[in-house]
Amino acid sequence: MSDLVPLLAAESTALFGSKAVGLGQALRDGLPVPDGVALAGAVVDAVASRDEQAIHRVAESVAGLQGALAVRSSAVDEDGAEASFAGQHMTLLNVRGAEELTAAIGEVWWSANSDSAITYRQRVGLFTRPSVGVVIQALVEPETAGVMFTLNPVTGADERVIEASLGLGEAVVDGRVIPDHYRVSRDGEVIERTAGRKDIAIRSLPDGGTYEERVAPELVESLCLDDQQLAELNRLADRCEHVYGPARDTEWAISAGKLYLLQCRAVTTVRA
Amino acid sequence: MSGAPIEVLKRVPLFADLDEAELGRVASVFKERRFAAGETVIQQGSGAAAFFVIDAGEAIVHVDGIERRTLKAGDYFGEMALIDAGARTATVNASTELVCSGVTFWDFRPIVEENGVIGWKLLQSLIEIYRSERTGP
Repeated sequence: MSDLVPLLAAESTALFGSKAVGLGQALRDGLPVPDGVALAGAVVDAVASRDEQAIHRVAESVAGLQGALAVRSSAVDEDGAEASFAGQHMTLLNVRGAEELTAAIGEVWWSANSDSAITYRQRVGLFTRPSVGVVIQALVEPETAGVMFTLNPVTGADERVIEASLGLGEAVVDGRVIPDHYRVSRDGEVIERTAGRKDIAIRSLPDGGTYEERVAPELVESLCLDDQQLAELNRLADRCEHVYGPARDTEWAISAGKLYLLQCRAVTTVRA
Repeated sequence: MSGAPIEVLKRVPLFADLDEAELGRVASVFKERRFAAGETVIQQGSGAAAFFVIDAGEAIVHVDGIERRTLKAGDYFGEMALIDAGARTATVNASTELVCSGVTFWDFRPIVEENGVIGWKLLQSLIEIYRSERTGP
């Protein structure tokens, strides 16, 4: 079995990690996931060691992806504690060029081998060498992005909870803005819409990396999703639950009017 | 393939008894790691995962919040992490962009396990360090 495959063919969590396999499954089920490739832990290790053959293989594998790239860690954990590891691993956005891609993969390797990651592993009784896969995807440059829970993670109510902001979704995920907050019933009725305070939007720089753009004053406290987009997100929640089962925690983005699924995992904090 | 400069490894007391080939074997498993200016490289009290050699840039060492020294290219820190992954005894912050070569406990351990000669020499070095710290200079 190859250790470097199109995301669509990532089927082994032991090789590629749960994020890669989750996204691969989403593609196989027709969900709107950006195209990409999955690297097994051994390939990530070789690239981080500056192995020329591995670097060349990765460069060839991403040649078909248009524009800038997103490089994400995909934990290969023997106890399935991917969610717990998530905060210690990383995502690098707007990666451009072979050299930057190699450096980004090296950073992901170190994120799994950092002091904090090793300390965490020891605390939970893991004394084996960490292995981290990588997902490389075409970067989506969104007008709007955020997170969506397919049921309310605080109350457990059977409703979608959506948080949205302008630009890349990291503004929401990293808590850099107060996002717009929406609750949508399973049949599509909008139960709540509360504008946040979206002072900044994270945007890509032409030469790689990201920056915080000041949001125009009239948009800071304006709702950034309309009814049609909320309906589309509700349909995406349905499809995610159909494929993966109930109670999903997702990341999404809308770019050039098209909705993309960037991440889908189990909700871990539901109150009964 | 990346790797730490052997000349730097020769100055590390833990590796004092290793010959050129053995140092080359250790150097071969190092990987490059970059830190932005201002970034914390290691944190006092945190569990230790890796030993680092500085390839370029500068870093400041603090112990209990007190600045102790500046580290530059050719300096190294954290070598005891390779043996027991115990708590860091100092904080190191990058004062400029910092390029390091690092090796983790997990990558170092197989070298020792596969090569009894290296393991024995490391034990001898550790005893020398222990004796000198016990008896003083």
